[in-house]
Amino acid sequence: MITRRTFLSHSCSLGVAASTVGTTLLSLGAARNAAAQSAGDYRALVCILLAGGNDSYNMLVPSDASQYGAYAGIRADLALPQADLLPLSLSNTGTRSFGLHPGMSSLQQLVNTGDAAMVANVGTLLEAFDPVAVENGTARLPVGLFSHADQINQWQTAIADGRTSKGWGGRIGDLLQSSNLANGVSMNISLAGTNVFQSGDDAVGYAIESTGNGAANINGYGDAAGFGEYRTRVWDELLAVQQSQVFRREFRKRLRDAIDTEGVFSEAMSQAPALNTTFSPGPFSTALNQIARVISVRDLLGATRQTFFITVGGWDHHDEVLDNQAGMLPAIANGLAEFRNALVELGAFDNVTTFTISDFGRTLTSNGRGSDHGWGGHHIAMGGAVNGGQLYGDYPILAANAPLDVGRGIYAPTTPTEAYFAELALWFGVSPGDLDVVLPNVRTFYSPESGTPPLGLLTG
Amino acid sequence: MSAMRHTLTRSLRQTLTLCAVTLLAACGGGGGGDAPPTTTPPAPITQAEIEAASRLAAQATFGMPFEALEPMARQGTEGWIVSQFNQPPTYHRPVILDIVQRRDAGEFDAFEQDIEYLIFSRRLSWWHNTVTANDQLRQRVAFALSQIFVVSDNVDTLQVYPFALGTYYDLMLENAFGNFRDLLRDVALSPAMGLYLSHLNNNRSDPANNIFPDENFAREVMQLFSIGLFELEPDGTVITDINGDPVPAYDNDDIREFAKVFTGLSFGGDNAFFGNEIAPRFDIPMEMFEANHEPGEKQLLNGAVIPAGLTGEQDIELAIDNLFNHPNVGPFIGRQLIQRLVTSNPSPEYVQRVGSTFADNGFGVRGDMRAVIRAVLLDPEARDPSLAPNGGKLREPVVRYESILRQFGATSDDGFIAALGYFIQELTRQHPLSAPSVFNFYLPDHSPAGEISDQGLVAPEFQITDANSVVNYPNFVDAILFGDFVTDAPPGFDAVRLTLEPWEALADDPAALVARLETLVTYGSMDAETRAIIEAAVAEVQDPGIRTRAALYWVLTVPATAVRD
Repeated sequence: MITRRTFLSHSCSLGVAASTVGTTLLSLGAARNAAAQSAGDYRALVCILLAGGNDSYNMLVPSDASQYGAYAGIRADLALPQADLLPLSLSNTGTRSFGLHPGMSSLQQLVNTGDAAMVANVGTLLEAFDPVAVENGTARLPVGLFSHADQINQWQTAIADGRTSKGWGGRIGDLLQSSNLANGVSMNISLAGTNVFQSGDDAVGYAIESTGNGAANINGYGDAAGFGEYRTRVWDELLAVQQSQVFRREFRKRLRDAIDTEGVFSEAMSQAPALNTTFSPGPFSTALNQIARVISVRDLLGATRQTFFITVGGWDHHDEVLDNQAGMLPAIANGLAEFRNALVELGAFDNVTTFTISDFGRTLTSNGRGSDHGWGGHHIAMGGAVNGGQLYGDYPILAANAPLDVGRGIYAPTTPTEAYFAELALWFGVSPGDLDVVLPNVRTFYSPESGTPPLGLLTG
Repeated sequence: MSAMRHTLTRSLRQTLTLCAVTLLAACGGGGGGDAPPTTTPPAPITQAEIEAASRLAAQATFGMPFEALEPMARQGTEGWIVSQFNQPPTYHRPVILDIVQRRDAGEFDAFEQDIEYLIFSRRLSWWHNTVTANDQLRQRVAFALSQIFVVSDNVDTLQVYPFALGTYYDLMLENAFGNFRDLLRDVALSPAMGLYLSHLNNNRSDPANNIFPDENFAREVMQLFSIGLFELEPDGTVITDINGDPVPAYDNDDIREFAKVFTGLSFGGDNAFFGNEIAPRFDIPMEMFEANHEPGEKQLLNGAVIPAGLTGEQDIELAIDNLFNHPNVGPFIGRQLIQRLVTSNPSPEYVQRVGSTFADNGFGVRGDMRAVIRAVLLDPEARDPSLAPNGGKLREPVVRYESILRQFGATSDDGFIAALGYFIQELTRQHPLSAPSVFNFYLPDHSPAGEISDQGLVAPEFQITDANSVVNYPNFVDAILFGDFVTDAPPGFDAVRLTLEPWEALADDPAALVARLETLVTYGSMDAETRAIIEAAVAEVQDPGIRTRAALYWVLTVPATAVRD
């Protein structure tokens, strides 16, 4: 069947070509203090948003006899067969055992070889969960709990008691960007267009595509001769006009910045070495491939700190959890393994930590082949700095009427997102003193001065 | 009974409106009460009036060609709106049916490996209809509604059954000038929506097996399609409690109660049965199967209770009433209609005027869409930019592209304007009924970091304006004007071309060419400096054909056009 993508590949290209770099652009880069810093101290965070609320109780499943029995009883027609679960060798779970969804053998290998860890029951909280307070209505709960709009936002903003459009990745960018201007390219690079996670006061995500060298420019811009000279000159004049209307000002700025950044970015990407690692053809692997390529030219960009953001959509499985996850989870596992291999090839696996986020986990109970919006969910962290082969956080004891159950098998989180994010931010280079700038509510759950890490997930 | 009242009220209102127009015409005739009609030549239309008509066209249509502006100006805003209300609607089902029948007869066999032309049919219908239809206001309002009542072809089943999205969009068209309650109810019973938000084949609870009704539609029908997340003042301001926290309009328990209501529905038609997945009927509303409908009482909002013992259909009607009558609906839906048509940041007073018209159209009717549309477009803030200090809207890519096709004479050999929309979708992140999620292409409250959010403003369309898409659009225009691409017409359909001869006729006077383009596209709102640069750039090009296209290129892509007032 011709999909949209195959149709596009058969049609004439619109000729969106990267321009050659004009001298003006290079000098612009120089003017922004593009001196490459020491190549040794590079760190990157790769944030993968599973948009819609991944049913992670079917991604990470209790496999010991008594807990599996509880799982199967509660999940009814959603329960995965015990024999299908992929065993995890976790060094810190005592007598409890866990398995992964049968489609995630690549992730099983990553965890069992210590390249990845699982983080259990993470979710948005304003205070530690108190079932009595929830019951009698006095608990402080995240705004818009169980709603996509607010929860997907709060995982990106780390502000569960408000609605803002600025994310903790953006705030990290605001803090670190001036000491890390990668030739004028934002340190926050998005494979998902505009996103909240990477939006800060000054820092914004630089959106690239998974195809080609990632950045597009105006046709003809930067070409020295003929039509290109005309185009470049007129666009420069038009974009120099100071607009009096604020939207027009912002639009002008976006277009100007896109043109300026493309030259620098494309020049660097054109020198990305060919990788031996092969990636699967799907969009998730393709995006990770592009990220690996950007990381491969970090020295050319002069980048010492970068965040990357990918969105994988379609996890809101109110219907057909089993069929949908069977089709979708393998791509996640395989993409992560491919990315790991590429990073090892680049000698950067220790410098890059990849982690998942999602709106929420889902109801343990079924609605008839589907599940509804939940709260706490389980996540994946991968990287050379990750203390792999372990399960962090507290995987709940599943039971009918468990104390964490707020109804329909929705379990309250036992690890706040603050702890998860603080671990990542501190590793990335945010100083303890700046932690509550990046995560405004962190002190409810963690004292940056404590000297001990929030979870112990990462070394260094 | 209430339906009949709506009909009576609507026809009464139409009569009153027609009388008003007749009276005005009579008074304007220049004569006294019994004098014979005099033939006074009509007053010349001023440039300002042409610009005002062009502005209205930008708000209320997918673009009007230059020659249509003077007649619009003569009608006046209100007169034009009324004439648009009276236009026969242009629906998709006939067009889709025609394409499907042609496909079934083998016309596209040479080009199709599988079911491509079934998938293409609703896209082909959408583009052709919206480019050629005369009921432009209805088309534009339906497009706005489709961005609130979102269903999307990112669910494969909705792609492969051509009448799924085609019939759904016809609901938007049909109800655009009707009553909002009918729209809400039709959406709730739409099989396309049932599939998209999974209340199709949503079964009653089975507590013994720990299975409960699917909450998806129940949540979104409140959050997105009627009342929103939080309690609202009549002017759309979020109501906060003593701690300054917004007051939720509903909670998870409410969702579970409404989820019970939306149980028991499946595809309708002959041989219908609950649980049907293999013989879908997307062309008719879903049917209720009592045996699969949750029995018992359901607690609705604001203390309303559906008593036990009613039929599923009765339960749904009462639930729809409960949502429809919530005071939030006017400001919640009204503000979004303003955002889609007029401006991203209406004043609270503007929202209140529209919201209160929703509550009561002046004749005691709630939810009168015509009254609401009039309120949106006739509001002083909509008609006079000087009254809207935070006025402005980044134009939607689909509307910009449509406007190119409509304003520059898109035509083909057989008159069918064939386009699939894949390029505009891929490059600019927007295509009708192709949103990435039920949250549309952008959120109503998206506030770009920087100056816009510093000023406390929102700008939804900036959410899809990233470093790639911002550059892709000028390149898209480039391909249309200088490449051999106007639309992505599939094989078997005539290529679409523009009609630029009328513009080429102005090419030897760059100032006149640019002035007319500016009137058509930016209606006097382009800044003088940009205009001067464009004029000089156009004059630089010698060849008249290329000069014309260069003029279009610049006018259609500069910041002063991307953002309209």
